[in-house]
Amino acid sequence: MVLGLTIGALVSLICGLDRVAILQVMISRPIVAAPLTALLLGDPMIGLQIGVMVELLWLARLPVGAAVPPDDTQVAIAGSVLVIILGQSLPASGTELLLLCLFVTIPLGKVGQYFDRYARQYNVRLVKRVSAALSRGSFLAAEGQHLRGLISFSLSSLGTYTIIILGGWSVIPILWPYVQQPLSYSSSWMQLAFPLVGITVILGTINVSRAITLFCASFCMAFLLMWLV
Amino acid sequence: MAISRRTRLHIWFRLLLLQASWNFETLQGIGFFYALFPGLRKLYSKEKLPEVSLKYIDYFNTHVYFAPLVAGAVLRLEEDRASGSVAAEVEIEDFKEMVAAPYAAIGDAFFWGGLRPLAAGVALFFAVKGILWAPLIFLLLYNIVPIWIRTVFFSRGYHQGLKSVEFIQRHKLPDLAIHTKETAVVVLGGLSALMVFSQLTEHQLPSWLGMLTLIPMIMLGLVARKGFSTLLLVIITVSTIFLLGLFWADVVQLIVF
Amino acid sequence: MALVLTRIDNRLIHGQVLEAWVPFVQADCIVVANDEIAGNPLQKMMMEASVPSRMLVEIGTVAETILLLNSTRLNRRRVLLLFGTTADAVRAYQGGLIYERLNLGNLQAYKGKARLSCTLFLDPADLDDLALLDQTGVKITARCIPADGERPWKKLIPAAKGGV
Repeated sequence: MVLGLTIGALVSLICGLDRVAILQVMISRPIVAAPLTALLLGDPMIGLQIGVMVELLWLARLPVGAAVPPDDTQVAIAGSVLVIILGQSLPASGTELLLLCLFVTIPLGKVGQYFDRYARQYNVRLVKRVSAALSRGSFLAAEGQHLRGLISFSLSSLGTYTIIILGGWSVIPILWPYVQQPLSYSSSWMQLAFPLVGITVILGTINVSRAITLFCASFCMAFLLMWLV
Repeated sequence: MAISRRTRLHIWFRLLLLQASWNFETLQGIGFFYALFPGLRKLYSKEKLPEVSLKYIDYFNTHVYFAPLVAGAVLRLEEDRASGSVAAEVEIEDFKEMVAAPYAAIGDAFFWGGLRPLAAGVALFFAVKGILWAPLIFLLLYNIVPIWIRTVFFSRGYHQGLKSVEFIQRHKLPDLAIHTKETAVVVLGGLSALMVFSQLTEHQLPSWLGMLTLIPMIMLGLVARKGFSTLLLVIITVSTIFLLGLFWADVVQLIVF
Repeated sequence: MALVLTRIDNRLIHGQVLEAWVPFVQADCIVVANDEIAGNPLQKMMMEASVPSRMLVEIGTVAETILLLNSTRLNRRRVLLLFGTTADAVRAYQGGLIYERLNLGNLQAYKGKARLSCTLFLDPADLDDLALLDQTGVKITARCIPADGERPWKKLIPAAKGGV
């Protein structure tokens, strides 16, 4: 269990930095981060399911300029960790547990947004330090200050991960006995609903005229094709 | 004096850390200085270097994938200024300011708005089918263009200097972004159809029911356009489905009678 | 002509405007009132090139923009109007370009400015400008992108005073 949480934290750190601070090769997207976490914990299919459900939710929230979207990376990673670890310790498994974990973790994505803002706010003080270092001609110190920013972003990622894990850990075992049965009536439909809600948000906010018309046409075409063939 | 290939490579790698100190006051300012510093050190004497560096840490923000293009061009302009061969037509600070926002606008539209949903949509086809390679498919599909832009445009910026801005006129990139987004919408339409269809088949329900999915989707899409948050839409949808699932027998009775 | 959004943003046309605001307010025309860019052909070209061709872009000096928006040329267009500074916004208003609401987007830090919110840095002159507009009945709110909450500018002021 401790090993699982540590692996999760490691993935959370690397993928979290990819979000803003370095690289931007998109290993921070839920469709990559969740299966990766789950693979390392030994059950990649769970990660894939979580990736499908979380990937599209906040895809429409673009990281444009100074705008900070909710942290779907940490939701995906912590969600996968919770499902796999709680699945071993609780008498629980299956889609219902996965759904319950997401109900708890998704709202906590907002915490990540808050931490991310805080990290960027904290980094403002680096500006003064860099200019002070440059004024006295110590370039190495100035370069070091830039890398100091990585610490803020790392702490923001790990902090979000920890809070989501703690939140999930304390709430899910309590809720589980109550929701397991009721959830089982509709679990597969909810699993379907998550990506569809994400798609509707994309349609509602994407900068394409008549996005909804185009979507409906494509949906109907594809649907008829599958129906008739 | 020209900047060696090795130094340029060094700068390119440093550009991968561009946003490590992203902050609300100067945004990528420090990062841009950090990336270019190996080059600046080669061009300026120890006495002048602090003054030049201080100019660099000021406000700067562009799209991460276009930053190498700006950096390449700035390096060339710095070389010209240092050698004094060409009277600078444009001040370097003005050049940075001039290109940053348009490149950012184009990058945001194309990469975040277009390519990312498109690659995610395609990869999810595989993920929905339970194929574990889906994440790799996403990474491959998505990263081809960014890697190309980051590498090729870095050297193009360096070789063309001020002229590197001309690509923006030639290629009509904002229109390309719109087409990418339209493709993404089409792919997402197909993806939704696939997911709904396989769900219905699994539950052995009549296929025509799938067409009804469009009604709540369009409604939610219009709600989202009004600026309501994803979280709210998720809560609405999930609780509706939850209640329907709980009281399905009663709902059916209501409809039948 | 419908003026669907009037915004102060020192970056003028960029990702937030094109990707978040344009679809939200359904604008089909962007008007930029900025003397500096209007006077620099290269910069003007770059800015125009970052907008999809189906949208109309008009970049002019503040004086030109006042004339443009009071003419009938943009009839039946849904216009998104951008200013670079609070001073320009005041100048346009006093010159006869009447808008009812003003959105504060990005005003980046230049030395000596106090922070109002994450992306708004204002100096006392800016605050005076906004107060002037506020008195004439313009509803001023701070909102970076539509997904952010809308906050009346006066609620942000104490934060600025603490920083001065």
